[in-house]
Amino acid sequence: MFAQPEKFPLLTEGSPRILISDTDMSKPNDLVQGTLDLLLLKILALEPLHGWAITLRLKSVSGDVLQVSEGSLYPALHKLEQEGWITAEWKQTENNRRAKFYSLTRLGKRHLVSEVANWERLSSAISRVIQTSEV
Amino acid sequence: MRIEHWWFTAPLRLRSMLRRGRLEQELDEELQFHLEHKIEEGIAAGLSPKDARNRAMRAMGGLEQRKEEIRDTRRIHWLTDFLDDVRYALRSLRRTPAFTAFVAITLAVGIGMTSTTFSMVDGLIFRPYPVPHPRGVVSLVSTSHDNAFDAFSYREYLDIRYHTTRYQGVIANAPLAAVGFSADPASTPRVRGGMMVSGNYFQVLGVEPRLGRVFRADEDRVPGRDAVVVLGPEFWKQEFSSDPSVAGKTIRLNGKEFTVIGVAPDTFPGMQIFGHPDFYMPLAMASVFSTNPQKNFFEDRDARDLEVKARLKPDTTLQQARSELAVLAQRFEREYPQLNRNRGAAVHTQFEMQTRNDAGGGPWKFIVIFAILALAVLLVACTNVAGLLLSRARTRTREIAVRLAIGAGRFRLVRLLLTESLILACLGGLGGLAVGYAGISFLSTFRIPSELPVTVPFRMDARVLLACLALSLLSALLCGLAPALQSTRADLLIALKAADVDVPGRKRLWGRNLLVIAQVSTSLMLLTASFLMVRGFNRSLVEGTGFAKDHLLMVRFDPRLVQYNAAQSQQFYKLLAERVRAVSGVQASALTQNPPLGLDNFDGLAFVPGGFQLPRDRENFTSTMDTIDEGYFETMGIAVLRGRAFFASDTALSPRVAVVNEQFAKHYWPGADPIGKHIRLDHRAGTPVEIVGVAQTIKYRSTTERPRDFIYLPLAQHPIPRMVLLLRSYGDPQQLVKSVKDVVRTLDPNLPMLQTRSYEELYRYNAVEGPGVAIELVGTMGAVGLLLAIAGLYGLVAYNVSRRTREIGIRMALGAGPADVLRLVLGKGLALVGMGTVIGLAMGFAVERLLNSMLFNIGGVDVLAYVVVVPSLFVAAMLAAYVPARRASRIAPILALRHD
Repeated sequence: MFAQPEKFPLLTEGSPRILISDTDMSKPNDLVQGTLDLLLLKILALEPLHGWAITLRLKSVSGDVLQVSEGSLYPALHKLEQEGWITAEWKQTENNRRAKFYSLTRLGKRHLVSEVANWERLSSAISRVIQTSEV
Repeated sequence: MRIEHWWFTAPLRLRSMLRRGRLEQELDEELQFHLEHKIEEGIAAGLSPKDARNRAMRAMGGLEQRKEEIRDTRRIHWLTDFLDDVRYALRSLRRTPAFTAFVAITLAVGIGMTSTTFSMVDGLIFRPYPVPHPRGVVSLVSTSHDNAFDAFSYREYLDIRYHTTRYQGVIANAPLAAVGFSADPASTPRVRGGMMVSGNYFQVLGVEPRLGRVFRADEDRVPGRDAVVVLGPEFWKQEFSSDPSVAGKTIRLNGKEFTVIGVAPDTFPGMQIFGHPDFYMPLAMASVFSTNPQKNFFEDRDARDLEVKARLKPDTTLQQARSELAVLAQRFEREYPQLNRNRGAAVHTQFEMQTRNDAGGGPWKFIVIFAILALAVLLVACTNVAGLLLSRARTRTREIAVRLAIGAGRFRLVRLLLTESLILACLGGLGGLAVGYAGISFLSTFRIPSELPVTVPFRMDARVLLACLALSLLSALLCGLAPALQSTRADLLIALKAADVDVPGRKRLWGRNLLVIAQVSTSLMLLTASFLMVRGFNRSLVEGTGFAKDHLLMVRFDPRLVQYNAAQSQQFYKLLAERVRAVSGVQASALTQNPPLGLDNFDGLAFVPGGFQLPRDRENFTSTMDTIDEGYFETMGIAVLRGRAFFASDTALSPRVAVVNEQFAKHYWPGADPIGKHIRLDHRAGTPVEIVGVAQTIKYRSTTERPRDFIYLPLAQHPIPRMVLLLRSYGDPQQLVKSVKDVVRTLDPNLPMLQTRSYEELYRYNAVEGPGVAIELVGTMGAVGLLLAIAGLYGLVAYNVSRRTREIGIRMALGAGPADVLRLVLGKGLALVGMGTVIGLAMGFAVERLLNSMLFNIGGVDVLAYVVVVPSLFVAAMLAAYVPARRASRIAPILALRHD
């Protein structure tokens, strides 16, 4: 339930995934597990959104590079909700339709901070490895 | 972090459980919302509505799978699944009400019997003391050759209390004793149970008074100074109507005025199992209550009357306490070699005290036998139900196969089937509660006609409820697991093809055959046990007690209740004996300390037999004894085999004499004439007492006891304040009551007559009905076990027949006659019953040995028991198998062949 900062389990079959667009769709380029959670939390930290808006927002913010598999999005959101990191509320959209809006909880905010820190450690470690090999 | 986490998630889980429908609807709406956007996006990109829809669905990757995945995130699917299983199981059980009822009743009987015996075992062995931290309270006992659980004297208690360091406190109490109570001086005293305790008793146990105060530590320092009393909670309610201002009132105990200082709380009815003290007095008031005028309570180190308990310091182990006390006991031995040679001391836990192996240990062995027998009944019930469930599962082979085929996991199916047996077990458990409650009430209705009320420690409390629940769960597993595992192992292909298919292979049948064998053997064992108990007991009754029980009236007197001193008491008994003898209708009269087979224990007498080589490590022997007057043997019809009975000429001034029983004479002077031999009281240099007579050995404490040593001492030389007057009447003994009342009134109108009843009444209650209850219980268990076994066997054979209907049809079509079919079906049943009988016989022998060693003094094998039990069981079992077998032999071949 609580990610251990030292380890980043690699993606396994059937786990939530993020697709990186403009690559070979038959072989989805999967990112490290937990990244989806991180991205969702980060996006919801800015403002409460419903599921569809989240996919759009993720695509636009990442410059069309990242796209959530829709099949993974809702289980991931529900999981975050059950963890108590985000909370949901039914509200009217701008088109006057009812939608389920997710927003970050106090617990989620704290979790996001630690996840971001973890991500930064990981990514800087990876870049260091990559740079070493180039030198 | 953890707690905050729960703060957020607990309401979600709760919502998931309680608002399932609402959640489902929301989930649907949420996904639909997404799909619609996706479709709109597709249409905007130029796709046809249909293509757009397909694209959207594809992107989602299966709507239902996603939903299932999301449901899983709620982490309560185990619960929702369980609820689904329960609903399903209830539905399928409702479809077969007869089956459900039969199983529930079967289990109810098993569970009920077991919880009844559990309440007995709990009451006698496991229930902790009603004090805070009961585990820290240990018992200290004095140990000698003859008694490993002896009491301590007051002096010894003080030494232990002040010379040990391992305890938070050491407390002592005298046994619960009959005390004459009157609320005011004018009223005739009534007998109530009072207990003398040390001044620190309540503090050390951690018991706070409900009202007023408890004893101060200094209130047991000075003999005779502090006449204060603490009331028991029940007594306070009955006698003082819960008067809140009772503290400070004056009451009379044994004629002396005592001031009430407080009331013990309701949570503390007392430390004893069988009696609740009505009031507590300080040990320092012993002179008012002492039962043994021969010894000085405060001074004599061998006036061992006190039960000593102590509360261990928190960090102290039992071992440390034991070694410390052992050292102290050695010091006693050195300092008082006359009184303490070869006498040790031991520390015991509550459990060790309750399961001790001596006369004072109570009937716990009996109860443990019950518990084992009850568990056997439960086992039979469970195997029976298991057999039924197995048969039932077979008729559902196809249903299970279909479920397996469409992808249900085996574990999931096992869970479903186990849920079903769990529901059955819960129904059984509910019924079991009712049965157990009835059983416990039945036990509680048995009233022992003692002077002090005897509390029956068996009750339906939270502990029994818990046991009942545990038993239900256990039986659910016992009877559900095997059938569930077996029926989900079905070969899919074959099972799908036919409704009820017998997969070839011996293994499957073995399970059920074993069930029948287990049932037959267990019920045979139960029947043997109950039969043996009935027979052993009846034989002991037929053998007789050795004395005449009829035409006897008994009345107990205790002149201390009206403040007589020892001399006055003796004078009273002398006059009483003289005057009742003159009453018309009295054939003979006697005085005795305790009538045989009564409720009170006989005193022990320490002695050294003359001319007997005392083992080196022994200071003396002890024997049970009674104090009687010169009319005793004649009145009771006990033969004096050699020498003489006591005479009126055996007075306090004449040489001391004793009569021993035959067993005693054989024990200490085998082959020699005991008349004229001497014993010395207490030790080698003690008072010499001449043996003047040998009386016939009778039953002293129970009708099933082995012959025991016994000594009679004359009342004139061994004065005892509490005596029982026995009158042999010509007619109905009750008719003498009025005359005795008149005689007593002429002697002292204030003196109460206690326990006035015919001796036969006492005998009936104490020696016949008490053990009778036990035997009824075992008999019931045996009968229930047999019924269950017969039902089980019938079910099995009937099931086998229905399973083999087609085979039987083929055989008959090929020319087999009804007799052949009968033989075929019956033969199998016969073999099983035979095997069960053999095993049951072996178990029966084992039980017989156990019973003999524990309860009865009979040796050898009771052949009649087996001659009766085995064939009757066999016949019953055969009948159970015959009925369905006969039905099989009447099957019409053409119908059988069409049988699916």
